[in-house]
Amino acid sequence: MIKLTFVQADGTEIGTEAAPGLSLMQAAVNAGVEAIAAECGGACACGTCHCVLPQKWFDRTPAPQDDEVDMLEFVIEPQSTSRLSCQVVVTEEMHGMVINVPDSQV
Amino acid sequence: MQTDSASQIILDPQSAAFAVDPHAVYSAMRRLSEPYFWASADTWMLTKVADVEAVALNKTMLRNNEEFIDDVDRKAQQRAINFQDMPYHERFVQVNLLESEGATHARLRKVVFREFTPAMIARQRPAIQAFVDGLLEGLSDRDEIDFVGDFAAHVPGHIIGRVLGVPDEDAPKLRHWSEEVVRYFDVGRGDADKARAELATKEFYEYLLILVAEREAAPQEDLLSRLVAYRDAGQLSQDELISTAMLILMAGHGSTIDVLGSGLHALLRFPDQHQKLRQDPKLMKTAVQEMFRYESPLPYFHRFATEETEVGGKVFPAGTRFGLLYGAANRDPARFENPDLFDVSRSPNRHLAFGGGGHFCLGNHLARLDMDVIFSTLNARFSEIGLVDAEPEYKRGLSVRGPKALHIGWKRA
Repeated sequence: MIKLTFVQADGTEIGTEAAPGLSLMQAAVNAGVEAIAAECGGACACGTCHCVLPQKWFDRTPAPQDDEVDMLEFVIEPQSTSRLSCQVVVTEEMHGMVINVPDSQV
Repeated sequence: MQTDSASQIILDPQSAAFAVDPHAVYSAMRRLSEPYFWASADTWMLTKVADVEAVALNKTMLRNNEEFIDDVDRKAQQRAINFQDMPYHERFVQVNLLESEGATHARLRKVVFREFTPAMIARQRPAIQAFVDGLLEGLSDRDEIDFVGDFAAHVPGHIIGRVLGVPDEDAPKLRHWSEEVVRYFDVGRGDADKARAELATKEFYEYLLILVAEREAAPQEDLLSRLVAYRDAGQLSQDELISTAMLILMAGHGSTIDVLGSGLHALLRFPDQHQKLRQDPKLMKTAVQEMFRYESPLPYFHRFATEETEVGGKVFPAGTRFGLLYGAANRDPARFENPDLFDVSRSPNRHLAFGGGGHFCLGNHLARLDMDVIFSTLNARFSEIGLVDAEPEYKRGLSVRGPKALHIGWKRA
């Protein structure tokens, strides 16, 4: 199991463990991270599972595909290390990863 | 083989009993060990939230099965649902963003998505507020109104028309065409309906051509002008421009009216929840989400399996038609505690009323904003709202859910 920590907008942390192969979004939903709305359920179709990765973790994560890059244009306050969590697959390399979750997705 | 309990289920969406309470049948279907086979529609009906979500998200499940049937079968299928010999309808309604898949869907969706983001939609708030205030002023001398017919029916079409760039005075025409076209999707359509749907599509098309020509000559700050620009940039064809404009005008129109009606009905059936919302208007966002969960206005869509797939513990061959009962999934106790209770503060509320997967509703932010403005304004203007008719009649059918009329009495604050 891979250890992940979601840091919410108010600073509170939600730690969880996820199996490799799960999406970061699914891991967040399972852990009860409410700000990850993920309204379309994980199809890169709504832009409501936005998260921001620390640079170190962003660099260790496979680069986003074109459809995710397109969608990231429309999230609230995108950052240079923004990702849609539904498009990030949890791997062994992500053990200990920290994920910053914005206040609101809509 | 269906189990004994499956054989006891009577699914008759056109019946009065179903209109009164579809959830009793949904719940019985959900308790079966495997999906319910609805023989008369040759469709496997999914009612568990996990099954509905899995199929909606499965990229091998498509809205149309034309990829794996030949032209002869496709024509036969078109005739079977009486969708043939209506050239305008075939050109602009049967082919659009909603009905497309793959690369075409992705291209069209991208064009429309950027127009319906929360930030773009939030710009409409003052216009929605002004329109709602004006409409309520016009009704202010009445002690009783039909909330659906006198009020809700006028709002969504007007607002979406405004977003697109339709002159205010033409809103009633658009509403007429939308209803004529959409009505043709109902079960039990006949040849007279067909002629009306075709005529409405033709008139709608000719009307939009004039508006498009006006935008070509003088672009405005509206969505239609931007669609023209996308067309000129090669992102969509002329026919796609027209079908997209029609879809935008039709898609969220009837369903928003329906959920406005069922949403107010829920507030009035659960007065403690209405009171809670009045006392804490910040709950409006979760209250609106709960309205969509509680009575999902578009409770039923379908998908075809393009390859052998396991759903709900059973393996189905390619070509299987699945019914996605969003309305049933949204009352599944596996995800929603006390699912038959209306709770304005329910959170999280991961309902599927806007669908799921690649076809997730693009207009959801606009529908939610319409509702936010309307219910906030009603609560501010009226200190008391009550049902005149305790048992309002709901529309019949599987594909829509909402009261035909909602007679209410109100007192100004």
